[in-house]
Parts: sequence; structure tokens; C-alpha cells
Amino acid sequence: MEQVGEVYNDRVTMASAYAVLGSIESSAFSTWLRESPSLLAFPLMLSLHAIGMGLAAGINAAIALRILGAVPQVPLGGMRPFLRVMWAGFWMNAVSGAALLIAYPTKALTNPDFYLKLALIALALVAVRALNRRVFASPDATDVPPTRVVRRLAVASLTCWAGAIIAGRLLAYTYTQLFASWK
Amino acid sequence: MTLVPLQAWLVRVFARGTLAAAFMHTHWGWPAAESVHFIGLSLLFGTLVVWDLRLLGVGRRIPLAAAHGFLRWTGIGFALSAGSGVMFLMAEPTEYIYNPSFHFKMVCLVLAGLNALAFYVTGYGRAVTRGAQGVAPRAAKLFALISLLAWLGVIVFGRLLTFYRPAWCGAAPNGFVADCVPSIEQQTTQHSR
Repeated sequence: MEQVGEVYNDRVTMASAYAVLGSIESSAFSTWLRESPSLLAFPLMLSLHAIGMGLAAGINAAIALRILGAVPQVPLGGMRPFLRVMWAGFWMNAVSGAALLIAYPTKALTNPDFYLKLALIALALVAVRALNRRVFASPDATDVPPTRVVRRLAVASLTCWAGAIIAGRLLAYTYTQLFASWK
Repeated sequence: MTLVPLQAWLVRVFARGTLAAAFMHTHWGWPAAESVHFIGLSLLFGTLVVWDLRLLGVGRRIPLAAAHGFLRWTGIGFALSAGSGVMFLMAEPTEYIYNPSFHFKMVCLVLAGLNALAFYVTGYGRAVTRGAQGVAPRAAKLFALISLLAWLGVIVFGRLLTFYRPAWCGAAPNGFVADCVPSIEQQTTQHSR
């Protein structure tokens, strides 16, 4: 009897989860993002997501490569002004990513790969923030050779961003359910 | 003047990459190439933005000649994206050669290439990378601005490709450039003209 109750509870939880996803999908904003022929709807969000990716992962790559010994003639402390551009890219992607999620919530949230992507982004953020704290915190300490910890954080940030990009690309190939109504 | 015969020729040339096409049509071929394309894009664009913004005056603590060293990595990113890009073309040549968004993407790419070429040919490249000055000349800043805009265009038109997939042509295309896929018969009509 207890087992039957658990199955019942699971079904109730699933049904209410799908009800939430379904109501997001039928909202005016979600519908507009998906169905509008305007380039300002889905195409703009996709474009912003690619540009933000280039800025966030790309400028992080430039900083990480400098830490790992590429372009040694560049003073590491001089890279500090580019952090703002990198974070601008990150927030561009947080916003455009939220819009893409609102357009297809079931498609993303029923796909384990989406959680893998989020986890890799979270790990990338941890690595990038730990790296920034060590490298860019004090203006005068930035031109000393990077420590082993900093070098490892640089490798971790590169790996996590590359992983997040791959997981992001795979989203289009691994989803099993497009809308909440298709059960 | 028409580029339609050139387009038909390009389709035939890329269609010769049957091995690449076979790989791309395996289960993970396409997403693997896309992943390389996007990682290459990030490396290319991130390091290029550092260089171009440095020319425009951001991060003046970095000597211009030193910042120029990042462009080697821009080149590596470009090689990754171009290599995987050619794979897409060999797998589905007509999807790109007749896609108007691809035409705009290539225009932006050529613009970016010519802009970079002009930067070095006019001597600005040498002046900037050999000189010890911290501030780039005004014309060098114009090169940087054009570079950023052209590459943004490459990214945006690349992302818009899927919204402009070419359909089959109703009649044989006879404009400057075809944005629909001509059938074999329509291509021969074009050639005999």
C-alpha cells in the first residue's frame, strides 16, 4: 500500500510540474519568443547567446592562456579592464539564456544534459571567481608569476567553459520532450 | 553579372568531400563539429576582442606589441571554426551555398579579412606592433572598430542560418545570387544560356 502511495505522490508531483511548464509555454512572452516571425524574438536571443559566449568564454580563455604562459609579454595585471567585458558577456548570456528557457522550458528542463550544462557553468564561475580573487584582487600583486593553484584554476576554467559549450550544443540533439502537453 | 554558376560549382566542389559527409551524418558527427565550431568561435572572438579593444584604448597597461601576441590564438580559433565550417559545407553544400544568411556571413568574413589585410599592408600593423607607443593612431582604431563589427556580423548571420534555409527554386534562378536550390535541370538551363 505504501508503494502505491509513493507512485501516486510521484504522479501528482509530475502532473503539477507539467502544469507549471505548460503555463509558462502558453504565456504571451513564451509564445511570442517561439512563434513571432520577428528577428527580435528567438533569432535575437540566439545571436546574443552566441556573442555573450564569445565574450565570456573567449576573454576567460585569453586570461587563462596568459596565466598558462602563452603571450608572456602581456602583463597579467593589464588584463584587469577586460574582466568587465567578460562579465558583460556572462550577463548577456544569463538574460538571453533565460529567454531561451522561457521559450522552451519543457524541452530544457526534461533534458539531463541541461542540468549538466548548468553544473559546468556553476563550476566555471567558481573557478573564474577563485582565479580573479587570487590574480586581480590587489593591483600590485598581479605581475608576479602565477602560482600552481592559479594555473590549475586557469585549466579548470578553460575545461568547464569548453564543457559548457559542448553540453549546450548537445541540447538540440538530446531532448526527448518538446512541450508539456506531449506526454 | 551572376554568381549562380559559381554557386553550382561550389556545391559540386564541396560535395566531393564524401568522407567528411559520411562522418557528419553519423549520430554524433554534426554536434561534434558544432562543438568545435563554437569553441573555435569563443577562442577567436575572445582574443580578437582583447586586441581590438586594446587598439581602441582599453587596458593601456598592456603594450600594443604584447597584446598583438593574442592574435596567434585568434588564428588557432579561426582554424578550428573554419575546419569544422568546411565539414558542414561538405555534408550539406546546398544548405549553405544557397542560404542568404550564409551569403551575408561570407560578406562579413571577407570584410574582416580585407580589413585585417589592409591593417598590415598600409603599415599600421608594423607601426603599432614595433613602436613603443601606448596609444594607437586614430586610423588603427577605425580598423579595430570595423573588425569588431565584421566579426559580430559573422556570428549573427551564422546564428541566423537556420531561419533562412533555402527551398527548391520555382524557376531557374537568374539574379545576381540564388537564394533557392536549383534542380539539375534548372542548372543546365542556366549553363546553356
